[in-house]
Amino acid sequence: MSAIWVLAQLTLREALRRKLVAAGAAVSVALIGLSAWGFWKLSHNHTMTSGEVQLAIPQAFVLFMFMFSFVVALSASAIASPAVSGEVDSGVLQTVVTRPIRRSDVILGKWAGLAALLAAYSLLVTGVMAAVVHAVSGFTVPNVLAAAGFLFAEGAVLLTLVLLLSTRLSALAAGVIGVALFGMAWLAGVVGTLGIAFHVPALHTASEVSMYVLPTDGLWHAVIYYLEPPSYVTQTLGGLAQSHGGNPFFTAAGPTWPYLVWAALWFVIVLGLGLVSFERREL
Amino acid sequence: MSLASSAEPAGPAGDAEAAQAAASPAVHAMDLRKRYRRTVALAGLSMTVQRGEVFGFLGPNGAGKTTAVKILLGLIRPTGGDAMVLGAPAGDRETRRQIGYLPELFRFQAWLTAREVLILHARLLRLPRPRWAPAAAEALAAVGLDGRGDDKVGTFSKGMQQRLGLGVALLGEPALVILDEPTSALDPVGRHQVRIIIRDLRERGTAVFLNTHLLAEAEQVCDRVTVISKGRALATGPPDELRRARPVVRFRVSGLPPGWWQPLANGARWKDEGDWLLAEELDPERIPDVVAGAVALGGRVEAVVPEQQSLEASFLELLGER
Repeated sequence: MSAIWVLAQLTLREALRRKLVAAGAAVSVALIGLSAWGFWKLSHNHTMTSGEVQLAIPQAFVLFMFMFSFVVALSASAIASPAVSGEVDSGVLQTVVTRPIRRSDVILGKWAGLAALLAAYSLLVTGVMAAVVHAVSGFTVPNVLAAAGFLFAEGAVLLTLVLLLSTRLSALAAGVIGVALFGMAWLAGVVGTLGIAFHVPALHTASEVSMYVLPTDGLWHAVIYYLEPPSYVTQTLGGLAQSHGGNPFFTAAGPTWPYLVWAALWFVIVLGLGLVSFERREL
Repeated sequence: MSLASSAEPAGPAGDAEAAQAAASPAVHAMDLRKRYRRTVALAGLSMTVQRGEVFGFLGPNGAGKTTAVKILLGLIRPTGGDAMVLGAPAGDRETRRQIGYLPELFRFQAWLTAREVLILHARLLRLPRPRWAPAAAEALAAVGLDGRGDDKVGTFSKGMQQRLGLGVALLGEPALVILDEPTSALDPVGRHQVRIIIRDLRERGTAVFLNTHLLAEAEQVCDRVTVISKGRALATGPPDELRRARPVVRFRVSGLPPGWWQPLANGARWKDEGDWLLAEELDPERIPDVVAGAVALGGRVEAVVPEQQSLEASFLELLGER
């Protein structure tokens, strides 16, 4: 356990020293500033009725959070991809794994350190965005903690997958595959909503399968669900369902327990595969 | 030089085991084999390194030296054969507490300072917390990096990184230190310091496994060397013995026709090099007989030079390059 802790601390220190945290903070402050300006413009738009504004703000909020989910996912991929392979290639890990530690300590330590970064980022960015939108437009995000939690889980899926890939592939290959799969899973989600809207069951089925293979999009829909006010969901489902068909930024129902159990199992399986893969790797 | 102690009292159940481990050699490899797809890296390597001895592992590039070292540390698994290190199977996690390792190609976290790298390794070695800072300071001093401890490793030259690597390998008073080409990036002063460190280790009873292709280095510090080629040990012994395996005597004799030595050639191999005549594997006891023979034939013996064959010559000869 202590080696995992030492290596998790090392991972966090690396993120701080190599300006990863500073760069992430600078970019996020700029993005949040722009979002605040956008919300202010939207909520003070005199060409829209107050009802329209009430519908537009949550929708815009989901859209902005989608951008942050993209940042979380890409960052997860970028930080995980060199974590093992890059350090094997440079010879850093050979000095570490010859110490009296388990190989799994290395993977678990890195995972814990990077996951802590993602968790802190997800919580901060969701919390600050919710506070900003409330201050500017009066809209209250229904469940900030749950949304932040699922945003983190979405990033952690990619983190775990790319870390597994990084035990065997080059940093570049692992990162590219991670980002590509994330994009495909999102697109599969969009295609699924189109499948429902246009009554093409095959598309819907493909989307469902994709949700289980890589649960990023399924978890992203959980984020959306906890950002939407219940009144908005009933309104949308009631009268406007037709116009919202194929809208990837709307979710009618929260995540189901079986799906959450599967997502948890997915983490255990993929992380386990990463441990086995690194254990067997010849260095 | 005194470095940190990592010794923790062994439990009563572990006493017998510990005693047995202490009596076992530092390294014992039996018929070690390693194959990478079509390439054979080790083809039945056997060797024994005693505790407290400085053991040179010599061989040309690609002989399998680094492969053998990596098997001893558990970085790779052998395809066949057995290796025991400090009485435990090679790669055993707890035994690695007693092993210091300087890899051939390595890097430390460039964004850490030298002291932080040492403290990181002290923690991974599970040294007690109060020992972290003193152990780091002692290691820095031992490798001549005191004064640079708080500089980032990324600003270090290759030679300084190698010194730091050596410092890391010395942490925790290991019973076995494995050095893979430890002086490859060092200047003559650095090489000299490494020799001093190795001698200090020997005085402390630490076994040193020195992987090198620098024969002079092996000649100066090793108690015994093994020459390996194509994944197999060709010869093992003290450097002196390997050198003397084929003594050479040079004769400079004038006034005699070529081939005068033929009747005197008992067992020796003669080589006519013009001015000089070389007798390889000539029993030193027979030198006066050869001189007397040459004089009896009417020759003038101008010089007789018994030569110590250099380790390099023995090495090349063993490898079949001469």
